[in-house]
Amino acid sequence: MIELWRSIGWRGQVPLAIALFALICAPVIADRYLLSVLTLILYLAYVGQAWNLMMGYAGQLSLGHALYVGLGGYVAALLWLDFGVGPWLSVFPAIAVGALFGAAIGWLGFRFHIEGVYFALLTIAFAEFTRIACDNLAFTGGSAGLFMPYVEKLAGEWWNLRGGQLLFYYLALLLAAAAIVLTAHLAHSRLGYYWLAVREDERAARTLGINSFRAKMTAVLISSGMTAVGGVFYAFYYNTLFPSQVFDTNQSIELILAPLIGGLGTVFGPIVGAFLLTPVGETLTTLAERLGVNLPGTKQVFYGLTLMVIITLRPTGVWPWMARVLGFGNRAS
Amino acid sequence: MQNAHCGKLTRRRVVAGAAAATALLGSPAVVRAETKALKVALLLPQSGYFAAAGQSCYRGAVIAPKVLADYGYHVTLSYYDFESNVAKARIQAERAIGDGAQCLVGAFESGATLAIAQVCEQRKVPLVVNIAAAPPITEQGYKYLVRNFDTGGQLLTNGLRLIKDLIAATKVDLTTAVFLHANDTFGMSMRHAMDKLFPVSHMPFKIAESISFDPQAQDLSVEVTKVRALNPDIVLVITHAADAIKLIRGMVMQRFEPKAIISPGSPGLYDEEFFDALGPLADFSIYTLPWANPKAQMTQALEAAFKPAHPKYRFAVDSFNVGFTFEALLIAADSFKRAGTANGSQLMAAIRATDIADHVMIGGPIKFDDKGQNNNIRSAVVQNRNRTPVVVLPPNVATMTPVLPMPPWHGRT
Repeated sequence: MIELWRSIGWRGQVPLAIALFALICAPVIADRYLLSVLTLILYLAYVGQAWNLMMGYAGQLSLGHALYVGLGGYVAALLWLDFGVGPWLSVFPAIAVGALFGAAIGWLGFRFHIEGVYFALLTIAFAEFTRIACDNLAFTGGSAGLFMPYVEKLAGEWWNLRGGQLLFYYLALLLAAAAIVLTAHLAHSRLGYYWLAVREDERAARTLGINSFRAKMTAVLISSGMTAVGGVFYAFYYNTLFPSQVFDTNQSIELILAPLIGGLGTVFGPIVGAFLLTPVGETLTTLAERLGVNLPGTKQVFYGLTLMVIITLRPTGVWPWMARVLGFGNRAS
Repeated sequence: MQNAHCGKLTRRRVVAGAAAATALLGSPAVVRAETKALKVALLLPQSGYFAAAGQSCYRGAVIAPKVLADYGYHVTLSYYDFESNVAKARIQAERAIGDGAQCLVGAFESGATLAIAQVCEQRKVPLVVNIAAAPPITEQGYKYLVRNFDTGGQLLTNGLRLIKDLIAATKVDLTTAVFLHANDTFGMSMRHAMDKLFPVSHMPFKIAESISFDPQAQDLSVEVTKVRALNPDIVLVITHAADAIKLIRGMVMQRFEPKAIISPGSPGLYDEEFFDALGPLADFSIYTLPWANPKAQMTQALEAAFKPAHPKYRFAVDSFNVGFTFEALLIAADSFKRAGTANGSQLMAAIRATDIADHVMIGGPIKFDDKGQNNNIRSAVVQNRNRTPVVVLPPNVATMTPVLPMPPWHGRT
């Protein structure tokens, strides 16, 4: 890590340190609304980073990543509701279940050479049948949803994630920071280079002696496990889980927008993307309200147009361009 | 020395006093407005998956301040669209309270409602739930939440009871039914509730089979064929407007004419889209739902305000969403009037003590139990007549008598 920190040079170190300091100090000046927006940004940056490992580095397109959010959320919520197991412990079984499903998808996909869009369809299929299963299983609450009760005496118990906005903000910040560190570490490890080789030309990578099956499986396992941690956060932050919402394809698309806009296969792309997308959405909401526009879908149309403009102008993502303009070291991007 | 100086009348003091007096005399209207009108934020899904319902609720909210003012209540409203997204709902709740909202109303959808409830609990700002049926909403121990809407179980129980009343009132012999429901979240939860409640409801008919369908399917001819083969007297449906249209079209094409098509608590059969697409074929379908009391004075006042404000929409079609949204605002405004303050805990105590006899929706006085649930809401049997939803039961609120069995599809005008 120290080597990585040194490699980004002072031009990268200074803004990074300032950004981190600003985020740590944000609760001092930000009101609760801004804090909740920042929490959402950091959460999306975290799960976006998890997806980025699989798609951006290993080149495996998953369009059903909400599956792992849902699984992580349901495992943690059920352990809390039925056995009183707190989230700091239940996060481990949540990771295990997420990784298990990831392993099943990965094994099916990579063993039988289901690649590209067909692999993406496989990920969607898994998310869909898990949603249908949760809709029909009584112990998950079925389609009527799973609710975490509000217990006043537990309010403030941070070790059970029963706190307020501030707790979840710092938790989201911790997750996003940890994801960046992990991604940076993996990206510059032997495994990271294997991923890049497989992503660019799998046949050539295999010719060089890289076990592409193992490399891709590792990417899926890490990505699914990480996303399941995001699911634990989701469950305890929103306190409700509906299969139709957590496993929904729209949720999967929302998770991948930040790395797509920020820059695939980059360490800072997902966080830059998340910091662009959510504020754009909030600004458009405010603008529509100020202008008195109440046509359903207006905001979504402008949001879509904004995304199209960004993608057209920066097809490889915003971060690689930013890194170049700001003169950061190559390794930072 | 200081005391002596304080008592001295200086030119500066006179000017300051005059300025203060001018400010005081010049601003009573502003002061009055601040203290007499409750600032209510409406959190609705005005876009996204639930947009149609959210917009319908919005139409009710827009006309509410004027109608409430006529009854001596004063509210100022602000609107927040949470895009049918739970994460956005939480953010918008924070934003609304940050903008100065003293009471929140919403949110049509249960997941979003609970996300908002947490914020309200932390900020000690009351939340009046207009529409959201998940039972846990009032079972979670929230102190700053009340719900003026039935739970899913209550909706179905009331619905089945009314179907029994309908059969008794029309004296039509209905012995078999098929339960046809969408296989989405809402449809499945109604199916589970039906499986639980039907056996203990002692209904005069039997359910021959429960059939689920995909609401995204291009047509429902296969499902209609299955139903036709069973030839039931009643087709019980849980639909949305789009699949209700496909269902009726399928029945007409296959010349299947049950004696009754009844929805025990779902939307679909009373949406404008349904009437537009089917014309006279939309008539005589029946649904049991909480509905605006057409004979209540407040409903008539609301309808009178609705027409000029929304000339493209019909109150009769919107009355479910409009009525409950208006009532949520009525509860907030009435509590504010009684409490005389917008202080969160005092306002909430007043909301909990609500007892409103004259209101819009059918049922007894609006009162909340210890958990914040209003148990006095009653459903009505509503039948489409001449492309308009009309209350046909219970008799004390009905404006027409029910028609059963349904007239044949052919020859309708």
